[in-house]
Amino acid sequence: MTRSRFAFRPFADLPIKRKIMAIIMGTTATALLVAGVSLIISEAVLLEGDLEQDLRALSRIVADNSTAALAFDDARAAGETLSALRAREYMSAACIYRADGSVLATYARAGLSRECPPAGDERFVYRGGQVTVARPIALQGRRIGMLVLLYDVGRISERLQIYGVTVLAVLLGTTLVALVLSSRFSLLIAGPLIQLAKTATSVSESRDFSIRATKLSNDELGVLVEEFNGMLARVQATNNELIQALREREEALHQAQTARDSLRTTLTSIGDAVVATDAEGRVVFVNPVAQALLGLAEQQCTGRHLDEVFHIVNEFTRAAVESPVAKVLREGAIVGLANHTVLIAADGTEIPIDDSGAPIRGKEGAIEGTVLVFRDVSDRRRAQETSRLLAAIVETSEDAIITQDLAGLVTSWNRGAERIFGYTAGEIIGRSIAMLAVPGRNYEMPEVVERIRQGDRIAQYQTMRRRKDGELIHVSVSVSPLHDAHGELAGVSKIARDVTDQVRAAERLALLNADLQRSNERLARSNEDLERFAFVASHDLQEPLRMITVYSQLLVKEHASALNAEGATFVGNMVAGARRMRELLTDLLAYAEIGASSTEPAHQVDLNKVLNTVLENLKAAIEDSGATIEAGSLPPVRGYEGHFIPLFQNLVSNAIKYRGEQPPRIRIWIRSQNGQPQFAVADNGIGIDPQYHEKIFMAFTRLHGKKIPGTGIGLAICQRVVQRYGGRIWVESQPGQGATFLFTLPAGHA
Amino acid sequence: MKGGPVGSEAVSRKVNILLIEDNPGDVELLRLALRQARIDFELTVIDDGGAAMAFVGSPQTTRFHLAIVDLNLPKNDGIEILGGMRRSDTFATVPVVVFTSSASPRDRARMEAFHIARYLSKPNDLEEYLAIGSSIREVLEETGTSEISQEA
Repeated sequence: MTRSRFAFRPFADLPIKRKIMAIIMGTTATALLVAGVSLIISEAVLLEGDLEQDLRALSRIVADNSTAALAFDDARAAGETLSALRAREYMSAACIYRADGSVLATYARAGLSRECPPAGDERFVYRGGQVTVARPIALQGRRIGMLVLLYDVGRISERLQIYGVTVLAVLLGTTLVALVLSSRFSLLIAGPLIQLAKTATSVSESRDFSIRATKLSNDELGVLVEEFNGMLARVQATNNELIQALREREEALHQAQTARDSLRTTLTSIGDAVVATDAEGRVVFVNPVAQALLGLAEQQCTGRHLDEVFHIVNEFTRAAVESPVAKVLREGAIVGLANHTVLIAADGTEIPIDDSGAPIRGKEGAIEGTVLVFRDVSDRRRAQETSRLLAAIVETSEDAIITQDLAGLVTSWNRGAERIFGYTAGEIIGRSIAMLAVPGRNYEMPEVVERIRQGDRIAQYQTMRRRKDGELIHVSVSVSPLHDAHGELAGVSKIARDVTDQVRAAERLALLNADLQRSNERLARSNEDLERFAFVASHDLQEPLRMITVYSQLLVKEHASALNAEGATFVGNMVAGARRMRELLTDLLAYAEIGASSTEPAHQVDLNKVLNTVLENLKAAIEDSGATIEAGSLPPVRGYEGHFIPLFQNLVSNAIKYRGEQPPRIRIWIRSQNGQPQFAVADNGIGIDPQYHEKIFMAFTRLHGKKIPGTGIGLAICQRVVQRYGGRIWVESQPGQGATFLFTLPAGHA
Repeated sequence: MKGGPVGSEAVSRKVNILLIEDNPGDVELLRLALRQARIDFELTVIDDGGAAMAFVGSPQTTRFHLAIVDLNLPKNDGIEILGGMRRSDTFATVPVVVFTSSASPRDRARMEAFHIARYLSKPNDLEEYLAIGSSIREVLEETGTSEISQEA
């Protein structure tokens, strides 16, 4: 059915190419068909005419030839005559009738048993593909019989068929040729049209009006393409104009919106208070700053008259001040408020303000409203106060406070500067600060400015300046950068203090200190030398002394017989002297060693253990003297055990040595005096006269001569140990009442 | 006191002692102490640190049974000499007695490393000095020196 529908698709729907082809084909085929049919018809008519003529002629000949036979009723002759018709291929049968209508002779074509056709009156009849020709046979004007011929017209049909086939073949051939040619030729017309159609489709689909059809010929189609392109160009131009117009309109709308928004945002975010009114003075807009200053919310202001929300008075007279809006509406000009206007906010707060009002004019210049702008000037007031205060401080400062620009020209000069440098402000402002420089040190000030320029801050550097009267003074100067409103370095400020007196005092002090330092060094050196000497001497002197001692003993032992009593006494004295000297040297060495610096680090020393060692060392003396020793618990100290053993050993052995009548009773403990721990070693011995309380600590000092043995170095060693640890040692005693030796070891040691 | 008569079986064999000491007084007293302790000895004395270093650094034909070293010597001190002895083939195994006037504990501690036989302080008393001989005899006995003369 699809096929049939396709076949019946209206011609109008066919593509142009097909249409053109169909037209060409139709035309060609019709022309050929008409020609062919005409040819066949004419041929058929001609053939029929020829046949009739021929058959008439033939029938006359046969009839004439048969006349005799008929007349004589000779059937054989008549049959021979008829058989001559064999030459005619399409002659199917023939009969000769007698006058009575009986058959005289017949002829039938071989293979055919056709009966003789009846002799009718009609002379020439086509019937059923046969032509029947009847001819009377006459003799002397009298009819004697009839000849009937039956002729098969197949010959004609055959010829016509050949014609028809030929015409059909030609028709088919030409149609094929026409098909090919039309297919080619149709492109000539349809091509540009198709291209045009494609272009149009592409334009309508892509909405791209810049597409153009290609002109392929100069005929009407070319014109059509040109027109089409022209139309497209006009459409494109129009379209572009439309788009542009649309865009401009959108842009304008957007700008208008932005402008409105930005205007509102600006007014809303502006730092000043802004209030707008209509021509009657009623509030139509109030920005947040204004709301804050007025102490009212937006809805509390909008619609109300300005005078109801904006109350201002004169700061000093307290008189109400006319709102600038009233004045603007009356005078139509911009007005500023008088100074010293105070706004009284809704909650009664008073705020000093500056303000101004201006008319809002419409397009025709008529006043449509007013705008009032005001700002809180409290900060500015305070800043002014501060700067007045600062100016006063600067002016009354004892120090010189100076500012200069980057070229070194003085820009301000306070009274302190006048006093210190001798120049008045009038004399120096505008002139170079280099006037103050000490000759030969002019490089200094530009250097300072350069350092400031690089971001340094210079605090308290000491230098010298020259006063107006030429005197050189010492000053201590701090330099800071000064920036202009844009933050650019514009100059420097300097604060200078006259420190001449201090500098001179410091110089004297430094000289004294240097002297002192030198003396100290000398002293320390000689002290060190002495100690080294004492150490080396006491050490090296031991050797020869040992020789003297041992050889004196050897002399007595080996050569006693050679000595008399006096000689023996002399040698004995020698030995005693040498022994005494050895004791002295040993103690001296111990004394010197305490002063020597130690290579080992200090460590925790258990003084209880030290005391046990000491009591063990003095065991013999303790037992001999019957001494009782009572020792409290002693704290640990930081230091060297080798220092604390001689300290305690000397104190305890002294307590035993300088005993009274009673056996020694020795007490060792810690007592606290003014919060400071004091080590105490107390005895019940002979005591010490207060006049010797200091002297006893000096080396080689002895109070008791030979009666009590000793080197006089013991207490000196004690003092040296205590002093080495930064402590102090002293004695509390009265003769006959025992003695208490006390010493401290500062915190960190004790 | 003279050394006692020499035992017949030890006539030709004496204790060889190397004494490094610069004080002639001490050398004399040591001889006395050794005789007192009845030691039949042959003493080689060197009184200078440099010479001592050279001596212990060179091969010796004599086999020493003991070395007595003073710590305070001119040129090279006792520590160096002890080091030299420990490096020497001849003296590495010879027992050493340090004989010094130094009572310093540090000196004594430094000696420990050398595994010395005795650390003796020079006495300040004759009797103590003579007792040194017994100490040295003890050392010789401890180290198995058979050449010590028998007591008479």
